[in-house]
Amino acid sequence: MIIVDSRGDVAMVHVAVDRLDAAASPAFKQAVASQVDADTAKLVLDMRAVEFVDSTGLGAIVSLMKRLPPDGVLVIAAPRHPVRRLLQITGLDRLFRQFDTTEEALAAIGG
Amino acid sequence: MAAEEASFTIEADLSQVRELARFVRQEAGLNEAALADLELAVVEAANNIILHGYGGGGGLIRCHVQRGADAVRVTLSDSGAPIPEDMLRNAQPTSQMAESGRGLAIIRACVDEIAYTSAAGANRLTLVKAG
Repeated sequence: MIIVDSRGDVAMVHVAVDRLDAAASPAFKQAVASQVDADTAKLVLDMRAVEFVDSTGLGAIVSLMKRLPPDGVLVIAAPRHPVRRLLQITGLDRLFRQFDTTEEALAAIGG
Repeated sequence: MAAEEASFTIEADLSQVRELARFVRQEAGLNEAALADLELAVVEAANNIILHGYGGGGGLIRCHVQRGADAVRVTLSDSGAPIPEDMLRNAQPTSQMAESGRGLAIIRACVDEIAYTSAAGANRLTLVKAG
């Protein structure tokens, strides 16, 4: 479901499903709870493998954001068109900065 | 010119919604951007039927795709509880940090026209996407 690797103080979370939808979101949230360290404050969500996200999947990403401390930051790397579009429609593009590559995302949040 | 039509039925189970999405993508014949919007709207509508209409209890969702010259009409039919009228009409604003409640607003943003009827226990939601 997810693969997590650490780059300095940044957790890189690779989403390893093609659809982060209502069917997949419970397992995603469970995987996050067990694999992402509770003290994580900077997180890059690598969405390159994800072809589709619905509002439930988006809610799961928001819940991931809520795990971070108040000064924590979550950015999205390599979102495909449907993911960018969903963020734009919901206005969450103002909450989650997006970068074309994981390298750019890491550079932006200081990994 | 007669419109091209196709139908597909799934069980009201979240794991089946991706099959519905695949069917709509295959039959709609739209450009990629319009198709992405239509797919998202259909998935949100199907999720709502499963979770709210059938309350997770199961049933059937029939999907009918009608491809016309200027637009695609996707009709979802079910026999669960109908969508409350005021909910369909008014967007419920959600806070940025809300984890749910965005489905109907997304549907409205993604399609050009929405029609809904509910009579004698049969609900029909029609989503029209130009393209």
